[in-house]
Amino acid sequence: MKVLENAAEEELLIEAARRDPAQFAELYQKNFDRVYAFIARRVPSRQDAEDLTAEVFHEALRNLARFEWRGVPFVAWLLGIAGNRLADRWRRSGKQQEVPANDCDETGSSARIEENLILFQLVNELPSDQRLVICRRFVDQRSLREIAQELERSEGAIKQLQFRALQNLRTQMRNRHV
Amino acid sequence: MSDTPLMDQLDEEIDAVLATGRERAVSDPAVAELLSLAAELRTIPRPGFKAKLEADLLGQVAPIAIRAVSVSATIMPTAISKAARATDSRLASEMIPTLAGFERSLYPIQRSSFMASLGAHAVIVALIVTSGIWAAPSFHEKPNVHSVLVTDLTYVLPLAPDDAGGGGGGGDSDILQASRGNPPRFARDQIAPPAIIVRSEQRKLPAEPTVVGPPALSFPQTSQLGDPFSHIPGPPSNGTGASGGMGSGKRDGIGPGTGPGVGDGREGGIGGGPYVVGRGVSAPQLIYDPEPEYSDEARKEKYQGVVLLQVIVGEDGRPRDVRIARSLGLGLDEKALEAVRQWRFEPGRLNGRTVAVVVNVQVNFRLY
Repeated sequence: MKVLENAAEEELLIEAARRDPAQFAELYQKNFDRVYAFIARRVPSRQDAEDLTAEVFHEALRNLARFEWRGVPFVAWLLGIAGNRLADRWRRSGKQQEVPANDCDETGSSARIEENLILFQLVNELPSDQRLVICRRFVDQRSLREIAQELERSEGAIKQLQFRALQNLRTQMRNRHV
Repeated sequence: MSDTPLMDQLDEEIDAVLATGRERAVSDPAVAELLSLAAELRTIPRPGFKAKLEADLLGQVAPIAIRAVSVSATIMPTAISKAARATDSRLASEMIPTLAGFERSLYPIQRSSFMASLGAHAVIVALIVTSGIWAAPSFHEKPNVHSVLVTDLTYVLPLAPDDAGGGGGGGDSDILQASRGNPPRFARDQIAPPAIIVRSEQRKLPAEPTVVGPPALSFPQTSQLGDPFSHIPGPPSNGTGASGGMGSGKRDGIGPGTGPGVGDGREGGIGGGPYVVGRGVSAPQLIYDPEPEYSDEARKEKYQGVVLLQVIVGEDGRPRDVRIARSLGLGLDEKALEAVRQWRFEPGRLNGRTVAVVVNVQVNFRLY
């Protein structure tokens, strides 16, 4: 019953977005993390993941009027676009890599994608100092010494914040049975 | 137990992951588990990326909206229908109307308005294309006024009371003043000077006596040759002057001056008047000559022709005593006078000094 309600709600959102593209923001918010996680697992860098994610949503917005609701979740359409984009990119780069067929089902669900999705969401729930160290370390790819200099803390303190943050994330992931 | 060795090892492995993109085999399961998470964090989106992309998408909404709202109305839940209608209304007010309705649009295409606009444009284009035809007559009627300074005079002013120009004088040292009479014919060059009493008949070639001056100038010709300025009717005398001619002056002229002309002054011409160009007298040069305007009356009548003015250019370069020598009428004479009085000249010169010179000005009034 819950699934039916969600499907009906999504259909309404899609129809509203087709009538008024400003309504697309809600569909974007609901599906961004999953699309990004899907792409991030298949590209070598964050820059590639961000570029492809942006392309997918821009294409989806452009072609929203052509989208026909057939009971399949909207994210499946988005992931289909993402798969085509990935294939194009691999073809251009000469790689013959293909999207693994068993990587996700038609709803975009898979254990690895869910794991990434939850991990990315949990980073935002970390204490601010730990979140900042994670961002500097993994997004900006700075060394512990550079982070220590920026935050005017000792290198040891930053190392400990990094360790605690990863421990927190592991704990939260376990709590969610991932 | 301290976590320091664990943290050091973990950080070392994280450095390797960030550098190579791959996890190395780690024996410690605790480190391996955390390192696996760290490897996944390598592709975590930047904190502001999600919001930035959303802003980009929403910024793209406006142009897309025009296409998106063109989808024909479908059966929708009431709430969404109301929202959509409100959106349609807002977008319709912002949309630019198009003449052709080939593209989907919410803007109502009215064929009558389209035809009216098409007709208005056709009329405007026709007016522009044919403007050359009805504009042409006014082009031909554009007035053109051309003025020419004429130094070869055919008109000469009468004598002036002051010493303003050429003249002449002569005599043969008689004790009597020259007797009154008329001078001989004026000529550009003098071969024989005038004389009432001819002292010598030893001329090898007979020649008509003349005085130097504008040939067109003529005094009443009578049989009595003499000085026109003399008050002594007789007896006949060539006068008290010298070097030929008649009068109290000298050098083959008539009168008190010096030269082959008549009257007071020098170097030929009529004494007491302005010089004429030639025989050492340079022509005045125009330095400021605003063109006359065309009179409305003459323009209306499509009247055109030439006005001839006679002007004395004074020693100061200003025109004076401007007179109409040939009239045209319909207000054109006045327009010519008005303009020429504003002219300025570099004055004529004789032997380096500025002199008053009489010139003609020909003003051509034309309609093209």
